Amino acid sequence: MSKSLVPQLPTGPKEPDAKGSWRAPTDWTTHAMQKRIRRRYGAERRFRFFGLAAVSLSAAFLAFLLITMVANGWRGFTRTDVALPIDFPASGMLIERAQLRTPAADLALAGAGLENAVKGAAATAFGPGGEEFISENAWLRIRDAIKADPSILDRKMRIDVPASTEIDQAVRGDGNAEAKATVAKLQQAGALSRHFNLDFLYESDSTDPVAVGIWGALKGSLLTMAVTFLIAFPVGVLSAIYLEEYAPKNRWTDLIEVSINNLAAVPSIIFGLLGLAVFLGSWNLFGYQFGPLLPRSAALVGGLTLALMIMPVIVIASRNAVKAVPPSIRDAALGIGASPIQVVFHHVLPLAMPGILTGTIIGMARALGETAPLLLIGMRAFIVTPPGGFTDPATVLPVQIFLWSDEVSRGFVEKTSAAIIVLLVFLLAMNGLAIYLRNKFETRW
Amino acid sequence: MLRRTTRGIAGVRDIFGRLGLIAAAAFTLAGCDSNTAREIRVVGSSTVYPFTTAVAETFVNQGGGRRAPVVESIGTGAGLKRFCEGVGWEFPDIANASRRIKKSEYQLCQANGVGEIMEVQIGVDGVALAEANNGPRLRLSKQDVYLALAANPLGKPNAARTWRDVNPSLPAIPIQVMGPPSTSGTRDALVELVMEPGCAAADPQANALKAAKDAAPYDTRCKRIRDDGPYIDKGENDNLIVQGLAANPNALGVFGYSYLEENIDRLHGVPIEGVTPTYATIADGTYPGARPLFLYVKKRHLRAVPGLADFLTLYTTMWNPKGKLTQRGLIAAPDALRAKSAQIVAQRAALDPAGLH
Repeated sequence: MSKSLVPQLPTGPKEPDAKGSWRAPTDWTTHAMQKRIRRRYGAERRFRFFGLAAVSLSAAFLAFLLITMVANGWRGFTRTDVALPIDFPASGMLIERAQLRTPAADLALAGAGLENAVKGAAATAFGPGGEEFISENAWLRIRDAIKADPSILDRKMRIDVPASTEIDQAVRGDGNAEAKATVAKLQQAGALSRHFNLDFLYESDSTDPVAVGIWGALKGSLLTMAVTFLIAFPVGVLSAIYLEEYAPKNRWTDLIEVSINNLAAVPSIIFGLLGLAVFLGSWNLFGYQFGPLLPRSAALVGGLTLALMIMPVIVIASRNAVKAVPPSIRDAALGIGASPIQVVFHHVLPLAMPGILTGTIIGMARALGETAPLLLIGMRAFIVTPPGGFTDPATVLPVQIFLWSDEVSRGFVEKTSAAIIVLLVFLLAMNGLAIYLRNKFETRW
Repeated sequence: MLRRTTRGIAGVRDIFGRLGLIAAAAFTLAGCDSNTAREIRVVGSSTVYPFTTAVAETFVNQGGGRRAPVVESIGTGAGLKRFCEGVGWEFPDIANASRRIKKSEYQLCQANGVGEIMEVQIGVDGVALAEANNGPRLRLSKQDVYLALAANPLGKPNAARTWRDVNPSLPAIPIQVMGPPSTSGTRDALVELVMEPGCAAADPQANALKAAKDAAPYDTRCKRIRDDGPYIDKGENDNLIVQGLAANPNALGVFGYSYLEENIDRLHGVPIEGVTPTYATIADGTYPGARPLFLYVKKRHLRAVPGLADFLTLYTTMWNPKGKLTQRGLIAAPDALRAKSAQIVAQRAALDPAGLH
């Protein structure tokens, strides 16, 4: 090791430098030097301050979002129930008992006038106007109770049914004086109770805020995401591997690379228009009319459209992950006689998997939160039942949030926040999965 | 390293194997059934949406394993355009409309082979002008609204900034009116029911222009809403307007009467020509902003789509003055009109295009 590499301490002129002149030692105590040092420390402190400020600002926005959502939304998960005394034998409903075990039970009970019987029971129990205290869909609860145990038709029962929106709001101290007086009366009679609203997680959309649930939208999101993943992941990963490992480097592959990077930044609404034209459009070819390939509002169409949208993201992330695998791994594998495809699938892909999965899940999270393209392909719809399959009409979580925010009834405000909480939990679970997978498959060398 | 890699291979191979299987299953599913019996599909006005969804919900809750109708809220104009694109499983069966179908739209329907359509009036709605409870308690005439909101009142660009500029008896507070976008039937109704009569009252040339062959001068003078600030386009989300009014007591909002009714503890209706929007004044037509709400139904779909006729019959049972829809903010049509609409549904009577314009 040569001597010149060792740094010189500025203790004083001991020997001439290369040019033969003597370099004066730095005097750290002079005013100018002290000022310079102060400036440097100042810059350091300022940078730290701005960095901290930036982080605090984003944290504050996040905290604001979470706090408002949780503060509004937790009430969406609770429900006020009214204990409704109902005397089935006295209601005068004619119901064929044998039918209650068949799929026609709903029709039979609706046809027998159960809805009016329940309203009548409320009016008898709580006085005239009492039917306003219970939800319009309260009779569905009683229908389910009868189907579960037809023997209750022979006796008097007290069944907990959901309260109407006005009562529900008044219990929370929100609403008009009349409703509050009613609540006080009902509470005195011990007819009111509050529960965790498990139905919110099992039911679908409704026009009545106390009867709505998120399951329809959640299932729609799950189906849509499944289609998106099944299309975007294999196609994206295979394109990335081909481009990175096999494709020659020439003008054409450069063009493809630029196009993919551009596509990743294209606004999602354009993919919505593309999906509308390709999957739902009809066109004339050779004198034949080709109708729409797929039904409108279906999870399948939504999934395909979103797959088009996130494919570029997956290709880019996967290419970077494949590129990051050290060439020595490939050389070693080739050296012991592996074929190129064995190199890719036995060595490169497993090592690149953590990066690929992280990129994929980030893309999927983006697709999960996407509304604009789905509005165009008809997933902005009111659907009372959860989708039964990929081609059934469905809606997704963010669209459901959007629809509820537009509802007339004020009971939907907290339901909107509750739906946002469900969406955030879903996103958190997906990101958690990304971190788990990354840690599980990560290899260090 | 070696062990890790081998486990990785197995993992990846396994993943791809399963993916293939599921993808194959998904596509078989997709291929099979688009042409068989399908659910009822409704598109159109956001004003009619809460009523049609309420009927759809009852329709499903009645049991019998019916498929849930799909209701999309895309605005009257966009809804009628999609409705008129053709007949077949991919086109909607019913269009919700907060105004009458236009002749041009009917012609589009005919050009696309839609055939006969039924026009069913489900009730009445009012275009309500409202302000916050701590607002300035304005009392307006149609002429005031026209002079305040038109882009070119009396043929000159609108320079009015405060209500006093419009009418010396009004307070000098800035004109701020929050309303729906141009695709909305509610905005069309505001123009048709308030602005145009206001134009006729304010502008002596209006009637001559209206009769003229070239519609453009009349449209720019009487129908176009200003876009220089005082009219604030709040999108199709009426709750945003309600929130905006609560935050800004000097502003007015334009929306369907059901939103006013739902928020009556925070807002109150602004009287137009001395008539406040209430259930009674809209139902009997004395409120100037009262307008009919319609369903348009393809007759050729009635037999092809299971349950469509039942759905319409159910609708007729729910639009009474004490019915479920009135609880949701619909204003029931007069008895004679309801009877006529029910008859149209029962007899499947087609719309006579002669009366359209």
